[in-house]
Amino acid sequence: MIINTIKKNYFDGEFVSYQITYVDSNVEKSVPLDEANTDYQLIKQWISEGNTVIDNGE
Amino acid sequence: MAIDKITTAAITDGTITSSDLASGAIENQSAFKNIIINGDMNQAQRGTSFTSNGYTLDRFTMDESTDGAVTVTQDTDVPAGYGFGKSLKVDCTTADASIGAAQYCGFTQFIEGQNLQYLKYGTSSAESLTLSFWVRSTKTGTYCVRFVKEAGGETRYECPIEYTISSSDTWEKKTITLSPTAGSTSLITATAGAIVNSNASGFRVFWTLAAGTDWHGTNNTWTSTSDRLSTSNQVNFLDNTSNNFYITGVQLEAGTSASDFEFLPVDVNLQRCQRYYFQHTSGSGKTVGLACFYGVSSVDTVMYFPVEMRSTPSIVATSGTGYYTVYVAGNGRTIDGSLSVNRVNTQSSQVYAAPAADTMGRAGLWTTTNSSASIAFNSEL
Repeated sequence: MIINTIKKNYFDGEFVSYQITYVDSNVEKSVPLDEANTDYQLIKQWISEGNTVIDNGE
Repeated sequence: MAIDKITTAAITDGTITSSDLASGAIENQSAFKNIIINGDMNQAQRGTSFTSNGYTLDRFTMDESTDGAVTVTQDTDVPAGYGFGKSLKVDCTTADASIGAAQYCGFTQFIEGQNLQYLKYGTSSAESLTLSFWVRSTKTGTYCVRFVKEAGGETRYECPIEYTISSSDTWEKKTITLSPTAGSTSLITATAGAIVNSNASGFRVFWTLAAGTDWHGTNNTWTSTSDRLSTSNQVNFLDNTSNNFYITGVQLEAGTSASDFEFLPVDVNLQRCQRYYFQHTSGSGKTVGLACFYGVSSVDTVMYFPVEMRSTPSIVATSGTGYYTVYVAGNGRTIDGSLSVNRVNTQSSQVYAAPAADTMGRAGLWTTTNSSASIAFNSEL
């Protein structure tokens, strides 16, 4: 699946996870902030490739 | 001694003791000897048909990067008489008769490093490994399996080994032994050959279906050069849409010989898979859990995992209009948007979403209300 967007999720004002949406898919992932999580590793790679995470704040 | 001389009547109680058996006379007899999980292709929590790259049947992930295309399915075509019920089938649906130098196709199982410390990689006592599997393909010729000792803070080493599919569309059992000194190398037996002792990937087995020249290496030789997917003899499985590739009975074990496939009870097999992926709910009319309105438009529940997951997992959920409903005091409050995790650990997770408004503090029953609703947790390697 091809990543469409990644945005930061906040809960009670705290940044707690990333939300990934995919192109042409109704599947989404919510990814915890854990270096051992391979989805999290992919997000870091996606960011390092110059992509931008949506941050709408709380 | 002829085997028929060893009968029950010929053996008196107590005459055979462990000291009568030479060390290594009986190999590969330990429980959970199979390093591969779901080698009988029985578990398919994500579904049974896949057209995109990524995880397919439990623990097996497809990586196709050619001008062609493949579909992976769970199939009931199996070698007759060996106890298998399912196989993994790769069907070439779009051909690529000429694989580019940087193109490739294959499927993988990643193996958690902390499960492999008994192989003693990184020492002079490193164990040999034997991979066995049943395979059937309409495309005959030379194929490769690529073994990868992951870096994990040390150095990544790879070793492609050839095998041959001799007869078209016929089940054949293949056995490949991987020596820690394959190619007369000492990479694995040196310190940097150690497998990471953590929940990260420590080892990888990659079944190559096609590989361009950028990825060719030397048969049965460990190397520190990355991405040695095959040798130059690897066939191009994607050269014709009539090509199919089936595989089952995959077993990787310590030692230099292949023992019979280790069948696990279906529940044990499922639980081993659920350490990496757990399908919580799928389809309409299923209970998700008890929920509480944390705010007027915020509902929370807690989901528990049946086994401890490898790492804190992501939630993988479908979303759409009316996919989920929280029933509160006789009213259904639909959830049309995303599901998200908070305070997730390896045993449970808080899951929250934004339903139609209700009174803060009320409790309700969160259910699925669309056939496409699906909630799963992913901590795959």
